[in-house]
Amino acid sequence: MRRGHNTGNDIASLVIPLEPIAPEVTLEEVANMFLYPDNANVLSLPVVDNGRPVGVISRYRFLDIYLKPYGRELHGKRPISAYMSNAPLLVAHDQPLAEAAQHVAEHMRFPLTEDFIITEHGIYVGVGFVVDLLKAIEVQMRANSDELNQAYSRLKSSQLALVQSEKMASLGQMVAGIAHEINTPLGYVQNNVAMGQELFAQVQAMIAGYEALVDGLLNPQADEAQITTLMQQVATMRADINAHAMLGEMQGLMTDSLYGIGQISELVLNLKNFSRMDAAMTDTVNLNDCIESALNIGRNVLKSKVELIKELGELPKITCAPSQLNQVFLNLFTNAAQAMETSGRLLIKTWHVDGMVYASVADTGLGIQPENLSRIFDPFFTTKPVGEGTGLGLAISQQIIQQHGGEIRVESSVGAGTCFYIRLPARSAAGAPRDGTTLQTPPTVLRTA
Amino acid sequence: MNKPTLLLIDDEERILRSLRMLFFTGYNVHMTTDPHEAIRILRDEKVHVIVSDQRMPIMQGSELLRIARETSPSTMRILLTGYSDIKASIASVNEGEVFRYLLKPWNAEEVKQTVAQAAAIAEASFALQQSHVEIVASAPEKKPRVLIMDDDESTAQAVQEVLHDRCEIIWASNAQHAMEELAKQDISVVISDLMLGDTNVSYILKTIKQINPQTQCIVVTSFDDTSRLIDLINQAQIARYLSKPIHKSMLARDLEYLLKRFYALSNLPALQKSQSVAPINDPQEKLLSLNFMGLLNRLRNVTP
Ligand SMILES: Nc1ncnc2c1ncn2[C@@H]1O[C@H](COP(=O)(O)OP(=O)(O)O)[C@@H](O)[C@H]1O
Ligand SMILES: [Mg+2]
Repeated sequence: MRRGHNTGNDIASLVIPLEPIAPEVTLEEVANMFLYPDNANVLSLPVVDNGRPVGVISRYRFLDIYLKPYGRELHGKRPISAYMSNAPLLVAHDQPLAEAAQHVAEHMRFPLTEDFIITEHGIYVGVGFVVDLLKAIEVQMRANSDELNQAYSRLKSSQLALVQSEKMASLGQMVAGIAHEINTPLGYVQNNVAMGQELFAQVQAMIAGYEALVDGLLNPQADEAQITTLMQQVATMRADINAHAMLGEMQGLMTDSLYGIGQISELVLNLKNFSRMDAAMTDTVNLNDCIESALNIGRNVLKSKVELIKELGELPKITCAPSQLNQVFLNLFTNAAQAMETSGRLLIKTWHVDGMVYASVADTGLGIQPENLSRIFDPFFTTKPVGEGTGLGLAISQQIIQQHGGEIRVESSVGAGTCFYIRLPARSAAGAPRDGTTLQTPPTVLRTA
Repeated sequence: MNKPTLLLIDDEERILRSLRMLFFTGYNVHMTTDPHEAIRILRDEKVHVIVSDQRMPIMQGSELLRIARETSPSTMRILLTGYSDIKASIASVNEGEVFRYLLKPWNAEEVKQTVAQAAAIAEASFALQQSHVEIVASAPEKKPRVLIMDDDESTAQAVQEVLHDRCEIIWASNAQHAMEELAKQDISVVISDLMLGDTNVSYILKTIKQINPQTQCIVVTSFDDTSRLIDLINQAQIARYLSKPIHKSMLARDLEYLLKRFYALSNLPALQKSQSVAPINDPQEKLLSLNFMGLLNRLRNVTP
């Protein structure tokens, strides 16, 4: 191999300050130069006139002439300018490596017979080896690709973080809603129980009063005065506590409390299902259930301004990650509610055709400007003020639907409303068995008992 | 004395039924899920206390309480809510001017006491109305004093531009200086950020309101924390909560209004009860407040 030159990452670092030859130098003299030990590695000698490179003579061409029979005798005394190539490979000392490499590659002849000449403002400074140039390029490319890799992984993690932050943002909104939803029933249930406890104590005291009176009446030793006192005590208690009305009321409150506890349990269950962000598409569920679940979670955002119409058809179950589809629907519902100024209608439909499950979510909100239609699925595209919109809801929704092998589409007309359509394969593309009932039947479980 | 009248509004009927039981004895209770019905009742009847939910489909609680304030100013306004974002809490100060901001689920005893306190205040205020005492809001001889507590000079500048020389303006950029100024003399309006350097000065506002109920506090801040705000409503009865940067026209309007209120309260101490605050509950703040009280007593005793 040829002597490797120390290769930095610019042309200047490749310069070998080789003594050039003048055009009038004879072939004989050139022969000596090629034999010179310092030049053992060079492929060619630069020809320089007045500091400017005018040609190049390669060892290959030189030998071709010189070693022919009588070559030395015929040509030995003639100037090199008659034999040199007039089109040397020229590279400026400050040319970017990649550009120089491209230039060299375009003009290089095979087999490689020449080194390239390096100039500074047109003046010869030395030669460079193509191999060194290639090595430098390789080093640079490796560095570039490292950088590229790093940039890529940074981007990937920041995108993940963003996805996470959108999750957190919608989670934040959700928590706000949920807190209200839970605190309301919790409010009356707690109060009712406290009231019940108080009433219980009062009723206990009252019973004690009655019992004392009955005991007094049954006691032959008790005198008139004692019994009068006992009766008076009972009478005051009766007047104070209006037990009948209170007990009647309390009965209603008990029914309310049970209802409230039911509500809380339902919410907690929903939340649990919802927060399962694991992406495994392993569950088979009815898309209608995802919609109901999202409606439940989003109830607070929706109920104050949205008139809800559901036309949910009968659907085959689909293989999916329900928590993710929940998120998609919650995003669509939230967007719909946010698109309504004061109030509006939300129409949710589902149906299925040929192994495909369809859902549409149509609102009577402000609609989307035509010029924005193509951008709404872009990450960060939002028309909402800072703090309200992250611009990630639809981007994530689209990603989720695509991961499920489906498609999401939008139609909108300004002033009339917006409709999102979702299509999902009944059997998801990702990892789920496509055919055969054999795979669907669960493996036989060994009975242990 | 007749039983005080209580008006309850919530979009969940079960909340209403539950609260009615809490006030079964001792009150004349009206309840409705319809805010418009509530407004009608307020117009037609003498209502001592209104307790409203915040999130309701037809109207937000803070909005209803704003209307209540105009319809029946003597009625004491309480918000009872399950959750509230910062916007709702700010609206309950600036628009609803609520007496208390209570959270669901509530403590039965605490709510009962708060409502009883509010009812007594309303009763006194109705009585005052009947006795035809004129509530004069005329400016006193002396220039009112406005204290700015903020390490940001632009707040002081904004106030200066709004008030010119109508008031004596004092600027304190740290907590110690602010406390000294408050201890030296009575202040009509305090305009304060929540953080001075890294000191949370909520306790100063809470303490000063305990001692001088007529002093009006405006919080100007770029720092939003719902639970801190709720504490400031209950324990400092802050009159306004403004976000930075300050809108001068808004500040001018609020200052105008609050100076009037300050005059009215100063001229008629009987009204001052309506500004009474709940005790400080944070132990750290309690301690700081006690120290500040100590300083107040020392300085006020020295300078007659
Ligand atoms: N139902 C809708 N009606 C009108 N505009 C919508 C609707 N859904 C989405 N958009 C538009 O698409 C944009 C992007 O939505 P999204 O990705 O969910 O982000 P964000 O809601 O945070 O802005 C919204 O800012 C809005 O302009
Ligand atoms: Mg969105």
